[in-house]
Amino acid sequence: MSTRLDAAEAERPLPPRRPRTLPWRTVLGLMAASLAIWLLLDAVTLEHNAEVSPVGTRRTVALVILRPLAAISRFTQVARIESAANGALGRTSAGSGGHTFVVIAPTTIPSSSTKHPPIHPSVTTLPPDPLTNPTAANPLRALLVGDSLGLDLGGPLQNRLASTGVVAATLDGKESTGLTRPDYFDWPAELNRAMAQVDPQLVVIMMGANDPQSFLGPPVVNYGSPQWDHDYQHRAVAFMREATSRGAKLVWVSLPAMRDPALNAKVAHINALQKAAAAKVPGVVYLSSDPTLSPGGGYTAFVTQGGQNISVREPDGIHVSAQGGALLSDAVVRAMRHDLGIPIR
Amino acid sequence: MLFPTIDFALFFLVVFGVGWSLSGKPVLWKLAMLGFSYFFYAWWDPRFVLLLVAETLIAHVGARRIHATDDPVAAKRWMWASVGGLLGILGYFKYAGFFAVNLDNLLRAIGLGNLIPLIQPTLPIAISFFTFMAISYVVDVYRRQLQPAAPIDLAVYLAFFPHLVAGPIVRGSELLPQLRRRRDPGRVDYSRASVLIIQGLFKKVVISSYIASAIVDPVFQSPSSHSGLDALFGVWGYAVQIYCDFSGYTDIAIGLAMLLGISFPMNFDAPYSAFSLQDFWRRWHITLSRWLRDYLYIPLGGNRGSEAEVARNIMLTMILGGLWHGAAWTFLAWGVLHGAGQVVAHLRRERRAAKGLAPVVPSRLHRVGQVLFTFQFVCLAWIFFRATSFSNAFAVLGRIVTGWGMGSNLVTPMVVITIVAVLLVQQVPTRLGERVATTWSNLHLAVQAVTLALVLLAITTLGPTGVAPFIYYRF
Repeated sequence: MSTRLDAAEAERPLPPRRPRTLPWRTVLGLMAASLAIWLLLDAVTLEHNAEVSPVGTRRTVALVILRPLAAISRFTQVARIESAANGALGRTSAGSGGHTFVVIAPTTIPSSSTKHPPIHPSVTTLPPDPLTNPTAANPLRALLVGDSLGLDLGGPLQNRLASTGVVAATLDGKESTGLTRPDYFDWPAELNRAMAQVDPQLVVIMMGANDPQSFLGPPVVNYGSPQWDHDYQHRAVAFMREATSRGAKLVWVSLPAMRDPALNAKVAHINALQKAAAAKVPGVVYLSSDPTLSPGGGYTAFVTQGGQNISVREPDGIHVSAQGGALLSDAVVRAMRHDLGIPIR
Repeated sequence: MLFPTIDFALFFLVVFGVGWSLSGKPVLWKLAMLGFSYFFYAWWDPRFVLLLVAETLIAHVGARRIHATDDPVAAKRWMWASVGGLLGILGYFKYAGFFAVNLDNLLRAIGLGNLIPLIQPTLPIAISFFTFMAISYVVDVYRRQLQPAAPIDLAVYLAFFPHLVAGPIVRGSELLPQLRRRRDPGRVDYSRASVLIIQGLFKKVVISSYIASAIVDPVFQSPSSHSGLDALFGVWGYAVQIYCDFSGYTDIAIGLAMLLGISFPMNFDAPYSAFSLQDFWRRWHITLSRWLRDYLYIPLGGNRGSEAEVARNIMLTMILGGLWHGAAWTFLAWGVLHGAGQVVAHLRRERRAAKGLAPVVPSRLHRVGQVLFTFQFVCLAWIFFRATSFSNAFAVLGRIVTGWGMGSNLVTPMVVITIVAVLLVQQVPTRLGERVATTWSNLHLAVQAVTLALVLLAITTLGPTGVAPFIYYRF
């Protein structure tokens, strides 16, 4: 009897295997456990990301949670799993996301690896200075640097310079950066690296809208204090000196007006400090973006050109639109021509 | 609050726990979900929660009035008043600036400039999605296809956070009954949901982010500086990027809803395996396609009428579908291209039928050719969708045509493998997700937890440090 039943059982087709369902408490435990394990595995990177995020409650709470986890991760060597994975991908734990580094050079333009034309002993004449006579064979090397606003300008400017056929432009930008938080992104170090790689004759910089925040130190210097103004201007001067240290000319483009009055006041303050810094460094042309993007002096989303309205700002009231970037690029090219005497069209 | 963030992961753990602990108390569950959804939306800008509330009130009052009256004329008036109110809000925030600028430019051209005040309202995230859902609700009540919902049900239906910011555009008939039904707290479909969420995260965080930075953004940022090969792969790359970005979001949204015991409709079905544009629109953003079909194309007349009338209906539907994505001439061009392509296909079918010829049964090779042609046409339209302006679009097109004399510096083996892999996977029907969910969920719970954590680690390690917002958040 029993044998017949077993045989019938064996002949009956097995029900198709389906994904399991579980009671919600078990699922909650599973999700919480997975999240906790992942947090532990990724704690060192997450701690770094929290440390470099904007100062505020979110950062404080994140650090309160992540610091002990990161300590456990380091102590138990769990962090090695993540660093090994990053190492295999050729990255640091801090990651490099969001960093734009684009070299635009026509095939006729020497790449950075051959940036210095070899000087043969028999050659007695040096090629003409690209600052005064850029050509396709001997192009002007330009380095365009900035935060997200700098990228709003940098992309169209790179296109505009490429259209001259005599400029090789490299765009080096990273969103949400500035001179206040080198712990998040060390612009002086990055500029130094890019200068060595590109060896530019011209640098164009636009950044600073993320800068109105305290220096984390130590010592902590609160934004709004006279000490902060002094330190910021000092950093701006040092940054400009680095940009011009190899004989390059620098065009520093001011930040445009912002729609939000509170942010606009901060940006105007940053502009004033940067302008004062520019006056202290030889070889720097300070270009105000106001005539192009804020012809009335205050924030405007549209400007009129050739009888047509042009939308120059993004709907967020902060960033510059592609058309605004193109107009500002024309202004930079005009400054290159008139203030620096670079003969480009 | 973006889905691929720790903030959201912690938020969702709380929602999940609170939601299921209230599963026996429907009113409290709905109140909790509404509160969580408004909190989720307020994370971007708390002011716009009022906009969501306003649209809910308009839809609620309109639907109630429509249902209460026996007079068809009055019902129609209430329907138009509600739909007009909803479209008015959408129009102001999304299109007012665009139309003001272009009208003013037109007036300037004929010497009547400066008559129109130029404005640039801040665009509330997801306004197009929840406005379309609210419109469908009012129209469904008007058509007697749906009973008016209780205010709390309607509010949860419109604001439910998994679909709130980028769809799917869920119908009232799909979601409202689920809100009233009791969910079984003992049978959470967690394994399918987890596979969907992981798949969506991988598409968004790894593939979409990589292909955008590796080739798409450089090509569209500076087309004149790149070769024809770069430009061609840049356009194909954008097709992959936007698919992975949007379908990745949808996978996550469907998975999250599933974890809360709610089922969402499918929004993508291997769109790049489509053999015609009509087929493409049955596979791409399915919930928008059917919305446009049911609330625009069919009311316009649909396939009824003369060839010219049908062509007009197709063109209007596709143009308005293009403009739904944003107030720009490039979106309009995208709609025109899709509309024109479908009109041509429709006319060919009609002419063939008029001659008494049977529909063509394509050979396998013919079908492959159709799929390739459809994909290239879709990519041509994507150029206008992605470009910042017409000049940008034509610059990319120009490079594809003329830029073959210079070397490529963006088409790397990894870029090629990524694009080809994403496209090929769509050509093969697969139940891989179901199989993975089955296998994984039958492992020991501790092993499941560890593997899930390791997969998350792999995704966060392979992806960039900061993840860009989903493309469709803007719409």
